[in-house]
Amino acid sequence: MNPSLAFDRLAETAAKILSADAAAVLLPNEAKDRLAVVAAWGIDSETARQHIQVPLPLPPSPPTPPGHPSVVHAPISIGEEPAGLLCVYGRLPHRFTEEDARRLQALADLSGILIEAVREASDLERIDAAKSQFIHIATHELRSPIATTQSLVRTVLKGYAGPISEQQKEIIARIARRLDFLESLVNDLLDFAASKAPELEEEEGPVALNASVGRAALLLQPRAEEKKVALTVRPYPEELAVWATEDGLDRIFTNLISNAVKYTPSGGQVTVLLGRTGDQGWVKIADTGIGIPEEALPHLFEEFYRAPNARQFAVGTGLGLSIVKSLVERYGGRIEVESAVGEGTTFTVTFPLWRPDHR
Amino acid sequence: MAKILIIEDDPDMVTALRLPLEAEGYEVYTASSGQEGLQKVKEIEPDLIILDVMMETTTAGFQVSLQLRSPDPNSEYAPYRDIPILILTAIHTTTSLRFGPDEAYLPVDDFVDKPVDPDVLLQKVRTLLEQRKSSD
Repeated sequence: MNPSLAFDRLAETAAKILSADAAAVLLPNEAKDRLAVVAAWGIDSETARQHIQVPLPLPPSPPTPPGHPSVVHAPISIGEEPAGLLCVYGRLPHRFTEEDARRLQALADLSGILIEAVREASDLERIDAAKSQFIHIATHELRSPIATTQSLVRTVLKGYAGPISEQQKEIIARIARRLDFLESLVNDLLDFAASKAPELEEEEGPVALNASVGRAALLLQPRAEEKKVALTVRPYPEELAVWATEDGLDRIFTNLISNAVKYTPSGGQVTVLLGRTGDQGWVKIADTGIGIPEEALPHLFEEFYRAPNARQFAVGTGLGLSIVKSLVERYGGRIEVESAVGEGTTFTVTFPLWRPDHR
Repeated sequence: MAKILIIEDDPDMVTALRLPLEAEGYEVYTASSGQEGLQKVKEIEPDLIILDVMMETTTAGFQVSLQLRSPDPNSEYAPYRDIPILILTAIHTTTSLRFGPDEAYLPVDDFVDKPVDPDVLLQKVRTLLEQRKSSD
């Protein structure tokens, strides 16, 4: 529940329990030198804000709004700490009894416990969001120097900075391999952080499958060319739209196509086929790569899992497919895999199609 | 030999690009910001431009390509509109940008993925320069 709505309900409940016609909830301001109204019932909230400001430490009797000469109040405490004040106002002088004060205090005690619980929950959310954002920024900053270093190393390795000995070549190739691992680690962390930080994402809306697959394939074409893997996309003749975010859908296909290229030896093929079955749209990413052993299939989408033959063939972190799966499921889709070792792998992603009369 | 202008703010990346290009015999010029790049285009009149996206701002490279490809016939860059542009990309940092075969948004001729493989770079440069020659 939204906290301000909860405080409104608290003020209303306090007034009703005491059969009074006005009440307010007060919490400390940022400077913590006075209490200010956060919710009022039975009095106009502007009037309440103007007239009811309680200095700290608490006076014996807090101020009242115009037309309400009597007040009963109960401090709201979190643990031993005073954290606020619950006030109920009466139109007649000396309207409230000791019993009223006891009943109000019971409600205030309960509120303290609830406020504490809400604060802890929102603190956790904030910490989680801050952590994700930190990973996001840190990985962006890391990517750039890694990419530059990889480029320099490749330039030297391929002899463009002058001749190198066989031994130097072998050592530099090792450096290149380590850097490639570092790159994939940072990329996966970046995707991982983005998948855990939905506030960084754009709003969901209809996204065209053909275009999303096209963008992913275009970005991976250079890598496929470099490896001499033929990357072909066969779009569907009509527009297929999925309710998702463009960024999220692009991440799914970039990850799957990049995997297909990565685990396909030179001379192989990666074919991306789009299609439709009833109200479902699907994308098949088929490669002629190393394949996935049957015993590895049940673990494929677990975080950090890597099949034994994948580990030998290329560097990676084992995060990519778990991210893909959580994104696919976020948009109401499912992912399936068929594979034969030495022959190749086909991933099929299926989404319910978006229609303009939906949502 | 063809003149190539590299617009890139990372001096180490410039080295990684310059070495293979010079080994092939190209005349290489460099600029370290979008602004400087636009100025050098006029001075050098290069045959090809290699352009980074994120420089003084995260979209400085886009701004350069938009200026150079402006459809306005009175644009000060109109004489340079046909110079081929090869853009440097980093897949994971650009997927959230509108970035694709979308002439209206990003008028460039081809992409090179970061990290740069020198053989792929040279092949793309060769292709673009040949295309330009045959269309002259």
